[in-house]
Order: sequence, then C-alpha cells, then structure tokens
Amino acid sequence: MAAVPQPDFREIDRQVMRTLEWPGWKYWLWVAALFLIVVWGAACWTRQIYEGLGVTGLRQPNMWAVYITNFVFWVGIAHSGTLISAILFLFRSRWRTAVYRLAETMTAFAVITAGLFPLIHLGRVWFFYWLLPYPNQRWLQPDFRSPLVWDAFAVSTYLTVSILFLFMGLIPDVATARDESAGWRKVFYSIVSLGWQGSEEQWRHFAGVYLLLAGLATPLVISVHSVVSWDFAMAQLPGWHSTIFAPYFVAGAIFSGCALVLTLIIPIRRMLELEELITPWHIDNLARIVLFTSLIVTYSYACESFMVWYAKDPFETATFQMRYFGHYGYLFWIMVFCNCVVPLTIFSPRVRRNLKALWVVSIFVNIGMWLERFVIIAGSLATNFVPSQWGFFVPSVTEISITAASFAWFLMLFSLFTRFLPIVSMTELKEGLRWLRQALRKESAEAA
Amino acid sequence: MSDWVQIIGVFADEEECVAGIESLQRAGYARPRVFAPIPSEKILEALQMRKSPVRALVLAGGITGALSGFALTIGTSLTWPHVAGGKPIISLPPYIIIAFELMILFGALAGVAGFLIFGRLPRLESLRGYSPRFSDDRFGVMVTCAPEQSGRAEMLLKDAGAQEVHRETA
Repeated sequence: MAAVPQPDFREIDRQVMRTLEWPGWKYWLWVAALFLIVVWGAACWTRQIYEGLGVTGLRQPNMWAVYITNFVFWVGIAHSGTLISAILFLFRSRWRTAVYRLAETMTAFAVITAGLFPLIHLGRVWFFYWLLPYPNQRWLQPDFRSPLVWDAFAVSTYLTVSILFLFMGLIPDVATARDESAGWRKVFYSIVSLGWQGSEEQWRHFAGVYLLLAGLATPLVISVHSVVSWDFAMAQLPGWHSTIFAPYFVAGAIFSGCALVLTLIIPIRRMLELEELITPWHIDNLARIVLFTSLIVTYSYACESFMVWYAKDPFETATFQMRYFGHYGYLFWIMVFCNCVVPLTIFSPRVRRNLKALWVVSIFVNIGMWLERFVIIAGSLATNFVPSQWGFFVPSVTEISITAASFAWFLMLFSLFTRFLPIVSMTELKEGLRWLRQALRKESAEAA
Repeated sequence: MSDWVQIIGVFADEEECVAGIESLQRAGYARPRVFAPIPSEKILEALQMRKSPVRALVLAGGITGALSGFALTIGTSLTWPHVAGGKPIISLPPYIIIAFELMILFGALAGVAGFLIFGRLPRLESLRGYSPRFSDDRFGVMVTCAPEQSGRAEMLLKDAGAQEVHRETA
C-alpha cells in the first residue's frame, strides 16, 4: 500500500488533463489506419448486402458461425466494465477508481460493436426492424417465448444503461475539463458537462442516482449474459442445451473483459503517461480477477464434460467426443491452453508485476475466449443429430474482414475517446485520496 | 434582495469546509451553498440535507417498467394468440425476463431524468458564487446574509480555516 503514490487534487487534474492535449501525428496515423480497416469491412458488408449471404461461409447446418461468435465475444467483453464500475462500486472496492472509466468506456463501445453483428448477420438488413418485438398487424407474431427476443430486450437495455452510466460519471469530470480548457474544447466540454458546477444540490442528486444506477446495472449485467447464453441453452442442440450455461457465460464474459482491460490499459498508461495514477497495484488487482474467473471457467469446462459423461446421452457424448477430438478439436485444445493453462501463471507475483508478461497473458485469454464461443457455436452446429446433415464451417474472406474491422472499429472509437474525454476519473481519484490517506495513516500507526 | 450580500469562503480541505458550514449553521445563518470538486457525504450531512428524491423516481420507473413488460407481452399474446412449442398463450416465466429488463431500463431512465430535473440541468448560466477552482481542488462555501451580519460570517469562515474570504454584492 505504501508504494502507492499520492498526488494531490491539483496533480490529479494536471495528469489527466495532459491526456486531453491535442494528439500528435502518430496518434492520427493510428486512427487513420484503423479507419481504413473499418472502411474495408464496410465495403465487404456492402458487397454482402448486395450479393446475399452466399458470400459468407454460412451453409447448412452452420447458419451461425463467426458473426454470432463476434456478437457473443463483444457482449462478453462489455461485462467487465460493468463489473468494475458498478459491482465493485457497490462493494466499495477502492482500486477501481483509477481504472473504471477505461473499463466503462470499453463496455459502451463493445456493446455498440456487438449490436452491429445481429444486423450484419441478416440476409436482408433493410428489414432489421422485424427483429424488434412490437405488436403489429402484419402477423409477424413476435414470440416472447423466444430467447432471441429476450436478447433484443437485454442487449438494448444494456446498451442504454451502460451509456447512461458512463455519461453520468463523466459529468463532473468534464466540468473540470471545461474549467481548464479554452476555445472549441471549452464549448464542447460545456455542452457535455450540462453546466455542472458541483453545488450541494447537484451532488445530492448525483450521489443518489449514481448509487441506484450501480444497483440497477449489477443485476442487469448478470442477466444480459445469462440471456445471451440462453440463445444457445434454450435450443435442444447437443453442446448447447445445458443448464450451466448462464453462470458459465457470465464468468467467461468477465474473464474475457478483464483480459481486454489489461490489453488496453497496459499500453495506454504508458502512452498517456498515467503511470502515477494507474499503478502496478491496480493492474495486479485486475490480474487477480482474470485469474479468479479463469478458474471458474476451467471449472465450468470440467463440469460441462462431467455432466455429459454422467448423463450418458449418446448425442451429447458424440458431440463432446467430436469437440475434443473431431474436426475442430485443435481449436478446443488451443482454447483450453489459452483460458485454463496460461492464466495460471498469474498465481506467480512475478508475472502479476511484470506488465509485459501480463499483456501477453491477456492476449492469450482474448484469443482463447473468442475460440470458446466459436467452438460452442460452430462446433456444435457442425455435428447435429443426423450425420447426413453434418458440415463444417470455413470462414470466407468477407467474414474474416468484417471480424477484423470490428476490432478496428472498437479500437478506433476507443482511441478517439481517450484523447477527447477524460479516460481516468478525476473526481473519483480525488475522492479516493481521503481513504488513501487514512489507510496510510493507519499503516504507519500500526508500524509504530 | 438588493441589500443582501454573499460571503464566499474558499477552503482547501474538506474537513475545514465542513467545520465552516457547521459554525455558520450554529450561528443561525441560512443554509449556505457549497461547491465541491468531489461528492462528499460529510458536507451533505453538515448541511442536513435529506436524501435525494430521485430514489422514489427510480422506484416508480422500475415498477412502471416491470408492469409495461407484462402488459406488452401479455397484451401482444392475447391480441395475436399463437401457440408455439405447445406452451400456453400466456407463458409467464419467459415474460418475467422481459419485465425484468424493462424494469431496469425504465428505472435507469427515470433516475437520470430525475437527476436532470431535480439538479436543474442542463443549465446555461453559472450559479452565483461559482469559480472554476471549485471543480479543481477547492471547496467553496457561500452564505447569503444581511450586510450587518457579514462581518461575523467572514470571521466564522476564516476561523474554520478558509484560505480566502471575499464578498459579492447582489
């Protein structure tokens, strides 16, 4: 604890405001490169809309593959942001203050990215509004018993609430930025801050609503990935039809999300010179969450296999045998290596304190968690009940391009945010100083 | 109000700011306006402020959302009855999921709306007594009083530890 530096209010503002200075050419080159990839992805999607889904690798029986994998992956990524910003807020976990804004921003952009995939996956995207469940006279009969309809409600609620939560937290910070900037930035920050001035009345309502939003976001985040898992678990397909999917998916979501926070935060704290605010202590705590959720995910894999073995259902058994040793078997073992074996290195304090090593571990987890969704989705569909229906999915250039573009799109939005809005919460860091001082005082008293 | 004056004390420390508020309250001044860079329960307690009414609004929003969820699902199913998978027309368990999501959505929207309404945001003009320092590292306590009481208010704020005290006339 004593190793944590303690800047004062002024210093916190100065360090965070420095990240909002006009970025150099390298930054714009990076954004431009990402933008080009997004344009390429958009071009591929345009072609897909024009030509039809035939340009993808989607064939019977694999009508869900890379796009749905991406959807589940990005929704999952979002979850760690809400965990850090809402659940840890309710638990009064102090280390969250330095990293929560970054995680929350990631949440908002990840859900936006995820929300694109149900659209991209449509053959006739101009009829996307048929997905929206509303009473209608055209006999489309929205079926509220369908998990896909639950998903539309869950994901759109999640998108709205996470953007509101992000925005609420930004208001006092943007007011600080407004008071310290000039020119067009002052105008921009004045609009975003809504004229916030931190009076007692404003803080009273802010504190009330922030706590309640955290309280609402907590069950929401658990419900959202549970609902996403039911997209699969409610079907009768072997490999999908499982009662442990909800907790298994929620843990996996937090696992992958915290890993992506690590992937982003390790380079960002260095590039934006935030080393004093985002310390190795914060990163150590994030790594512990990754390790903990990795163990839950490992347990879920084992439990899933045990249930199949114990139930002795011939179709389930065959599906799982093929999952381990079949066509996609190698992907399964890469996944186990990435998600179950590599994170175990975090047990070692040397790895936890070595940022480069942690960054590499986080990349493994990102790959592993993407593969997990692919193995579950495409792997289970490939080998259905009837062997005559079997078929193996091979992604097309369109799907690979759009997947790459989704990463570029996410990173582009995220990069733009980091240089124009405060990526570290000044207000919460200032608020945390009081606690930090108390903790240090207590520690020195105990030492004496 | 033209002969009222505003005395503003600028504090560097939260505890001193609380002490200043408390001594003003004890001396019988009207409740001061306080600007703070951080949310502070101590300041709100010193000002004897009640909890925000947004809580009630969130509750109302949540209840409305849950009821709307049931109304939408049950109403649609009854208007266009369609048996799927041999399930009853009104299948409550899945409808609970939709009611739950709408409860959270409406609760959150009501909360943020309440914050904007009660907090009177967005606002175009600055609050009286505000200074950009109050979003940075300073706490401001502004008390409005009659000119003859202003000297004592200044003294109380200085005694509590205000770094500077100045007055604004309305």
